[in-house]
Amino acid sequence: MIKFNRKVLTVFLTVALSFSMFAVTASANTYWQNWTDGGGTVNAVNGSGGNYSVSWQNTGNFVVGKGWANGSPSRTINYNAGVWAPSGNAYLTLYGWTRNSLIEYYVVDSWGTYRPTGTHKGTVTSDGGTYDIYTTMRYNAPSIDGTQTFQQFWSVRQSKRNTGSNVAITFANHVNAWKSKGMNLGSSWAYQVLATEGYQSSGSSNVTVW
Amino acid sequence: MRKLFIFLLIAITFVVSACSPEKPEKNNTLVLVEGGTFKNTKSNYYGKSVTLSNFYIGKYEVTQKEWAEVMRSNPSQFIGEDLPVETVSWYDVVEYCNARSIKEGLKPYYNIDKSKKDPDNKSDNDHLKWTVSINAEADGYRLPTEAEWEYAAGGGQTSKSYTYSGSNKADDVAWYWRNAGVKYLSGDWNWPVIENNNSKTKSVGLKKPNEIGLYDMSGNVREWCWSWYGDDLDPSGGSFRSVKGGGWIGDIGSSELSFRGKFEANGFGPDQGFRVSRNE
Repeated sequence: MIKFNRKVLTVFLTVALSFSMFAVTASANTYWQNWTDGGGTVNAVNGSGGNYSVSWQNTGNFVVGKGWANGSPSRTINYNAGVWAPSGNAYLTLYGWTRNSLIEYYVVDSWGTYRPTGTHKGTVTSDGGTYDIYTTMRYNAPSIDGTQTFQQFWSVRQSKRNTGSNVAITFANHVNAWKSKGMNLGSSWAYQVLATEGYQSSGSSNVTVW
Repeated sequence: MRKLFIFLLIAITFVVSACSPEKPEKNNTLVLVEGGTFKNTKSNYYGKSVTLSNFYIGKYEVTQKEWAEVMRSNPSQFIGEDLPVETVSWYDVVEYCNARSIKEGLKPYYNIDKSKKDPDNKSDNDHLKWTVSINAEADGYRLPTEAEWEYAAGGGQTSKSYTYSGSNKADDVAWYWRNAGVKYLSGDWNWPVIENNNSKTKSVGLKKPNEIGLYDMSGNVREWCWSWYGDDLDPSGGSFRSVKGGGWIGDIGSSELSFRGKFEANGFGPDQGFRVSRNE
């Protein structure tokens, strides 16, 4: 039984790792990387203030974002996605981590062809829309605490949010809704960014966060 | 002439081999740790009425060579004889301890019952839940307790109260996400960046040892301990086993000797290894 489980989990781990093989990542206004793999191109520009832009063609997985080194459950995240033009699988999302408990969380406002899903826990209404709440599990996956088995929390807007104007994500509404479903975030807050994430797709985005 | 040539060849071989530095022997190397109360002021056990007996602990993390000699397999993601074995669960390592004890004629330290689910194991993700008990007087290989690990990492009786095992500067003593890849990384912890930097485990014993001669207690691979993890020290059950020292994946805070890591006993990953202990 252990061998079978291990095989399945190893496959899962391998897939999870390969997803991030082609990543370009930036977080919390402190770190930017820009590189190309053989099959695609990602050009990320760390703009002034809270601005970033990224264009990508036929990529693997990447995450580019801007935000805060220390997340907060009560922060209202304002942003304006002046350009949001994914072709294929991509998310426009608030993204972050907590530790103790270790949780990776997303508030997804828009996406390309694939709307993320998981175990449905309910809904929350916030900032002019309704979001479905999901949980997913990551088994033996890399994290800020080393390899761990941990939960992901998701709020995914039921229909894509309009872009091109100033909007807000009142994160406290999601935190409170998650809590009411027994989904408790951790006590220690790692980075929290408004991110563009893509996988095997093309597109462009230009986002200002404040 | 031919005889002279052969003589010279033998003489040269002898001289060369006599002058060659010997590779450090990394097998079966245990350090005797003198027991007592905790001297390291950073330790979670400092100032508490905990007194440890003398015990042995591995100078190095268990290598893949040491694992393969006993288990005839190698589960590691990064392959190399002197690299620490990784991708081993807590169950794997207690089996290794017993198998190595038997191989070396020692009395196994653990009783492993795979058919009985351990009622003290509260994990939702661990579906094995083997019941493992100890033979406290046995002389065989075992895992250190969390207290023993922290005492040894903190320098025992000769502690200088370092934050990491052997230094206050992580880079002196630990392989961790910033320095375990091709380039030295700055910025925030970020998995895709770490992976793109070809970060991995390193051969054991390359960094500075701590006050009592132990290597890689901070960084490289995280190390399984015997103890359950809980809010209190040394609980009688729980969902996780204690892991200490941090590894090449996690943020540097997890390599502080006081950091209390945890992992389901059936968990495994390319940053999860161990070192052995024995009773005196």
